[in-house]
Amino acid sequence: MTATTRQIHKAATKHRGLFARFFNAGTFYAAASTALINVVFFLLIGLPLLLVLMQTFFPDVFNPNNPSFTFSLGPLGRIFVVPRVYFAILHSVELASLVGVLATLLGGAFALIVQRCDIPLRKSVGFIPWIVFLTPAYLKTVAWVLLMSPGGYLAEFGLLPPLTGSLFFAFPGLTLVHTLGLFPFATFIIGNALRGLGSEMEDAARLGGVPLWRVWFKINLPLLAPALALSFIAIFAQVLSDFGLASTIARMSNFGVLTYEIYAATSSYPIDFPLAGTQSLILLSLVTIAVLVDRLLRRKDDLKLISGRSRPSRDYRLGPWRWVITGLAFLVAFIALFLPIGAVIIRALTRTLSDGMALHNFTFANILEASNVHSLAFAALSNSLRYASIASLISCIAAVLLALQLEGPGKFMRSSVMSLALASVAIPGIVFGFGYILMWNRLPFFKDSLFPHYGDASLLITGYIGVAVPYALIVVMAAIGQLAPSLNDSARLFGVGAFRRVLRITLPLIAFSVLTGFMLNFIHIMFELPVSQMLIPRTESPAPIYILRLLNYDKDGLACALSLISMLIAGGAALLLWLAFRWFAARNGAANNGKWISTPSLAEDVR
Amino acid sequence: MTLRVRLGLPVIAAFVGFSIGASAADLTVYDALDFAPTAIKAFTAKTGITVDVVEPGSTGELLGKVAAEGDNPQFDIVWVDGSAVMERMMRDHILQAVPEDAIAGVKYNEMGKALLPKSRSFVPTGASTTAIEVNTKKVPADQSPKSWADLEKFAGKVAAKDPNLSGPAYQWLAGYFQTNGVDKGKELLLKILTNKALAGLPNGGKVNKAILTGDAVVGINQDSGIIAKAKAGEPVVAVYPTDGSVALPVGLGISAKTKHMDAVKKFIAFVTSAEGQAAMQAGDDTDFFFMPVIEGVKPKVERPADIKFIVLDDVKASAGEVEWKQWYKDHFVP
Repeated sequence: MTATTRQIHKAATKHRGLFARFFNAGTFYAAASTALINVVFFLLIGLPLLLVLMQTFFPDVFNPNNPSFTFSLGPLGRIFVVPRVYFAILHSVELASLVGVLATLLGGAFALIVQRCDIPLRKSVGFIPWIVFLTPAYLKTVAWVLLMSPGGYLAEFGLLPPLTGSLFFAFPGLTLVHTLGLFPFATFIIGNALRGLGSEMEDAARLGGVPLWRVWFKINLPLLAPALALSFIAIFAQVLSDFGLASTIARMSNFGVLTYEIYAATSSYPIDFPLAGTQSLILLSLVTIAVLVDRLLRRKDDLKLISGRSRPSRDYRLGPWRWVITGLAFLVAFIALFLPIGAVIIRALTRTLSDGMALHNFTFANILEASNVHSLAFAALSNSLRYASIASLISCIAAVLLALQLEGPGKFMRSSVMSLALASVAIPGIVFGFGYILMWNRLPFFKDSLFPHYGDASLLITGYIGVAVPYALIVVMAAIGQLAPSLNDSARLFGVGAFRRVLRITLPLIAFSVLTGFMLNFIHIMFELPVSQMLIPRTESPAPIYILRLLNYDKDGLACALSLISMLIAGGAALLLWLAFRWFAARNGAANNGKWISTPSLAEDVR
Repeated sequence: MTLRVRLGLPVIAAFVGFSIGASAADLTVYDALDFAPTAIKAFTAKTGITVDVVEPGSTGELLGKVAAEGDNPQFDIVWVDGSAVMERMMRDHILQAVPEDAIAGVKYNEMGKALLPKSRSFVPTGASTTAIEVNTKKVPADQSPKSWADLEKFAGKVAAKDPNLSGPAYQWLAGYFQTNGVDKGKELLLKILTNKALAGLPNGGKVNKAILTGDAVVGINQDSGIIAKAKAGEPVVAVYPTDGSVALPVGLGISAKTKHMDAVKKFIAFVTSAEGQAAMQAGDDTDFFFMPVIEGVKPKVERPADIKFIVLDDVKASAGEVEWKQWYKDHFVP
């Protein structure tokens, strides 16, 4: 960018968001649009959360008998008094930190071999993280319990020495299962950053005779640092908010974590709201601390990598090692995917638990019952598909609008919203669900609202959007943050209007990230349990509730069959969408020599 | 038209369109019982009264939702296992006392009469009890426990539910304290439930899994669940302790703010009729194997005739609830 264009850009964009630029006035409409967006986000996320968190200091505010605003530090004091609570905090931090590091390493390795290495079966390896991500977390936990229990499937084959079982239902096993379940997040984030990085700088350094290892330590890793940090924090937050493993393997390992404590405090009558509020506040604080530490450690500006001039990177040639690397990738797939899915398939095809894989125990009854289109199970599945489609679409559009709005005002606002989004990921769905009930069923004005209305599908979808927006925001903001301002400025100097610039330049460049955000949220919502439980509509109940009901009532064979069918349908829908996107992109792609610019980097960090 | 309008209008229209499904049923029932949908379907077929059925999960999860709704309950009827919690909810003005005329025509058998609370906090529609679940492949018949005290021999291998998360488990704990005395009962439990990984499970399904494929060999579980598992072919049997089993009523409570009392009364009349009870037995899952409390209704399976039933003192159980649940959590939940 020349000095002149830089000056023009600065003058044109100073302290103004894209919407302000649309209206070319920066006055009433810009202020109104900013206020509207803030209000929507406050209602979607802020207020429900606040209603739960405030009970840390006002424990009787929702007391059914004597509600009062009496201030008290009693609930906060319980953290230091009740051993189970402070041990849960320590356990949660210990587990989330270790899994954050391990999953980032594993996911990063996957991204590297898929993006930059000449491995055989590259496309198949590239699909592995997606399929792992597609498998619902609670199903994976059911599968691991079926596999690793003393009387489980592996023991039946004689493949489980007693010590292995006891090690598995302890901290190492918990870490392993979490790492294998969450590494796809790191693959997506680091993979996108690698794509945006290209190899111009690396090629230049290599031409200057710099060895490859030095190129990575001095050039690539520093450039990827924001993506690595984002991956660690996102996974750290995911582990903190996990409930599936917390209620099964962690529970069976005597390893209490915060989310299970919150669940225990809220799944009873009378409910212990103050304790739940305090523990939620701790979760939120833990992620905020992680984000702040990252900001303090890395203070330099991030590079704007998408300039329209980058060229695709060249592959590393691994020689015979490529087979070894591919073999290791499939070994990870075997442990993370085929083994648990296999256990689920076996359970779906068998009658009783105790007869295991005895021939007489096999049956198609569960599969037939789950695939009956006239059954309650299928009705629940079609409800979930409908809810997930609409909530994912709205959350992505909301995220794009907010990200565009935040592009102008500067780094502080952007980094604050990004930090809040990451912190929201750490809040368990159960806390959001309770916040929504308190807001839409207890607060004056809201409880009389007809749309959304507590007890109707409208509030369930609103709740799903509240949970999904932070995920979409992280993906979209990271993508928009990578776009060089020169792209927009050049078009503007040629007289291209604001709407057309967004439509023809920004959206095509971030389209793949938006689609990624949509698919992540679609799958997330399809299997989202706690919000579904709390905001279950009086009619048209979603699939996760039905599956949970089957699991609770010991019909885990049918639950496994229904989950498999759900995964196939959700995965099929995501695949169709991706193919449709590719087809559309091929017809309408603009840049990169006629190819769709697929994925902007996610290397924008949380600052 | 601005970008927001162009993008926003179709989305809002879709949101509204897809969300339409709002209910206008005559009655809303919150339940955590297997047989409820079947019974409600039969009720609607007979009376034409439409019912929305809300089943968010286990008894604990349902009660959590009820607690969050607080003084603005959205149900007309709550139908769950347990009696102490009903007493507590009535004290908190979430439930109202069942009107006398709603149960005047109900022909209770002896157990039904014993379970009908003086406070009228709920209507008993059936009952089960807590028994000792024994894996017959792991425990030879001659070594099977006979009483709660015998469980001490299996210390470390006894699976149990957390009364903080399970209504039936609290009913059992309160009944166990009622028969053994609180102090002596606590002392014995400390000797039995020595493995925290097995002692605070969230529901009966997890107890079954721990006994069938896990480290547990025996467990403390709802007898209808054990019977359902045995019927499904699993190697488990229910042992009723000689020192007594507390009766666990299936209780139906009425919202303090219901506006559909006529429909509620018709519902009570139906589920306590022979026809309603038959609908409640038309299935093979846990709750279908309840013990009838209505005169002349035959049970789906016969239990031993010599079970020593104890009827819980709901007032005492309700008064001790917070302290006893906390004690259990402090000692047996990781």
